[in-house]
Amino acid sequence: MTVALDVKAAPAADWAELARRARLRRRATTALLYGVLALGSLPILVPYLWLFTVSVSGRTGASTTVLWRTLAILMPALLAWSILRVSIVEPRRLLWTQLALAAVTLGALAVVTGPYLHAQNWRFLWNSNIADTLKGASGVGGAFPSVWTAFGNSLILALTQMTLVVIVSTLAGYYLSRFDFPGRAATLKGLLLLHAFPAMTLIIPIFLLMYWIGLLDTLTGVVLVIAALELPFAIFVMKGFFDAVPWDIEMSAMTDGASRRQAFYMVVLPQVKAGMLAVAVFAFLRGWEEYVFVRTLLFQKTNWTMSLYLFWMYEDVMGTDYAMVSAIGVFYVLPSIVLYVMCQKYLTQMSFGGIKG
Amino acid sequence: MARIELKGVAKRWGDVTAVEPTDLAIEDGEFVAILGPSGCGKSTTLFMLAGIYVPSDGQILFDGAEVNDVEARDRNVGIVFQSYALYPHMSVLDNIKFPLRFKKVGADEAERRARSAAQLVQVSELLDRRPTQLSGGQQQRVALARALVKEPKLLLLDEPLSNLDASLRLTMRSEIRGLQRKLGVTTILVTHDQVEATTMADRVICMSKGRIEQVGTAEDLYHRPGSLFVASFIGSPPINLLEGSASGRALRVGQAELALAGECGGAVVLGVRPEQITLGSGPLRGRVVDTEAHGRETFYHLDTPLGPLRALEAGAKARFAMGDALTFGLGHGLLFDPDTTRRIDGCVLESAVQ
Ligand SMILES: Nc1ncnc2c1ncn2[C@@H]1O[C@H](COP(=O)(O)OP(=O)(O)OP(=O)(O)O)[C@@H](O)[C@H]1O
Ligand SMILES: [Mg+2]
Repeated sequence: MTVALDVKAAPAADWAELARRARLRRRATTALLYGVLALGSLPILVPYLWLFTVSVSGRTGASTTVLWRTLAILMPALLAWSILRVSIVEPRRLLWTQLALAAVTLGALAVVTGPYLHAQNWRFLWNSNIADTLKGASGVGGAFPSVWTAFGNSLILALTQMTLVVIVSTLAGYYLSRFDFPGRAATLKGLLLLHAFPAMTLIIPIFLLMYWIGLLDTLTGVVLVIAALELPFAIFVMKGFFDAVPWDIEMSAMTDGASRRQAFYMVVLPQVKAGMLAVAVFAFLRGWEEYVFVRTLLFQKTNWTMSLYLFWMYEDVMGTDYAMVSAIGVFYVLPSIVLYVMCQKYLTQMSFGGIKG
Repeated sequence: MARIELKGVAKRWGDVTAVEPTDLAIEDGEFVAILGPSGCGKSTTLFMLAGIYVPSDGQILFDGAEVNDVEARDRNVGIVFQSYALYPHMSVLDNIKFPLRFKKVGADEAERRARSAAQLVQVSELLDRRPTQLSGGQQQRVALARALVKEPKLLLLDEPLSNLDASLRLTMRSEIRGLQRKLGVTTILVTHDQVEATTMADRVICMSKGRIEQVGTAEDLYHRPGSLFVASFIGSPPINLLEGSASGRALRVGQAELALAGECGGAVVLGVRPEQITLGSGPLRGRVVDTEAHGRETFYHLDTPLGPLRALEAGAKARFAMGDALTFGLGHGLLFDPDTTRRIDGCVLESAVQ
């Protein structure tokens, strides 16, 4: 039984023409994609750009001259860049044209905005009692703390809270992943429920609780509260990472002579490093950004965190020096950005699960 | 090296019984294989020996001393898991060295021993790689080196060859066998591949549903299976099993009357291996339904008065074609009790070959 295929019946395809059309289509799609993405990210980027340009150029008020000039240069540059990306195929030439474009853009920026730039708005960094030196200052009464006190407090808050969350969620996640105990299912359900619960509704009971146990107006109190709120989800994430680590490498370690604890540290923990890093980054950012609980639970000026410093600066000098508020904003957001950039490589691997292939 | 003994060892999880109470002794330096279908409790048995699971019942003895409560890390057992279980974050060398970290072995000595273990399984060129950068066969060798480096009393291999391709499997089979002879370590191999079990091990333990069905040499299991399960599990193509009834020295199967050597009565199951059917001569008549060429041998499906039969004949060329009528005889045939599923001793088919 044979089926004869009549090859001649099919018209001879013009492969070159088909390939040319496919290439064209691919390029058009890429160009469109770049265009849409660039346009879509504009509303997200402009506020940041506003904050930054005002912080380095504003004089008491917020002048948007520099912002518009920057945009006037950046937008065409971006457009030119997306056209370059799709039209030039050869890698070396692409690199050089890109470098040239960058140089031209930077040069143009320097010429157009250069005369407006100054560092006056950043003087809060070295002038410790900044609010008193401003006109009509001190709605909070008394001296403003140094920005470095607030920075230090924020750092302590974020780091201790992060450490606490990472340690507890790692141990709890491991236990939930590996051991069966009465109430395990209920615990897992409870964790999810706790995460879904809006924390704001707890402000008054937490305030009372802190008052009763004497942790009101201490960083320790805030650390404990934020860690407690952050933990359910962190535990859940860590449990997922541990679930992805096969049992047998643990069993293997134990037959190789390790105790359960040694097997955990030497063999299991290295497999969930990515998870621990993710939990750490998110916990740090949560502590760094915290506003609601520090606002309600901390009163003394020496306990201020960056968010409170920013708030009071805004309350006190708004209308007087709104460029400096922008500078503080930039200063406040900088550590988060640095952290993201440093960990980005590991965080993007996270979606692949606990163990890298 | 150790003599291993199991006395009434059982493992249960709630209502699930993975291993029924089992008695077994394995001699010092012996190579045994545990053979059985998926889920019959092979791995569970192995894990109990390694100390990963604690038996629900019974005693495990190493050289006559009970080790039930001895932790896995103190048993000095080398184990190769089915998945190899290499540590993904360590280089091959660190993987092999890992067990030595827990022994009082100096750094230089550990390095030397790890390298010689690597040499033994021929992975010396791969020492700096990560496990993910190795092929399945290489990973398996590394796992073997890691199990051997601590000079274990007992080597446990849980389906170590199941992930390999056919030709590599053949090579590794003889390599593992050779290594075991050289080192003289008591070894238990778990597999559901009967050829692997019978070619590698001195003795084969055939398990089914958590129970040991039979222990014996490959020859014993093939020619003198103790039960219907062993008879049908061992051998490929599988044995022909035909229901019949016996009275005295006569056996009736389907429309055929056969003679027995020895007396028995009642319902029986007759088991005949495919190669025990001689085609072309004999007192019985049948018809060829289908033929399959298997290279060195040819496999026939027959329609006979006894019922459908599978027959195997050496020779690449089929002597009979589909639809041919032929005569045939039965050589060695075994009888089983259908109620107890055990083989009936002292009663076999009288050879009907001419
Ligand atoms: N932790 C456990 N809890 C409950 N039942 C289990 C557990 N581990 C194994 N079992 C059951 O015990 C039986 C034997 O399992 P085991 O892993 O020993 O099978 P096996 O013979 O190794 O099978 P395979 O060839 O598929 O590896 C199975 O029915 C399994 O479902
Ligand atoms: Mg198994």
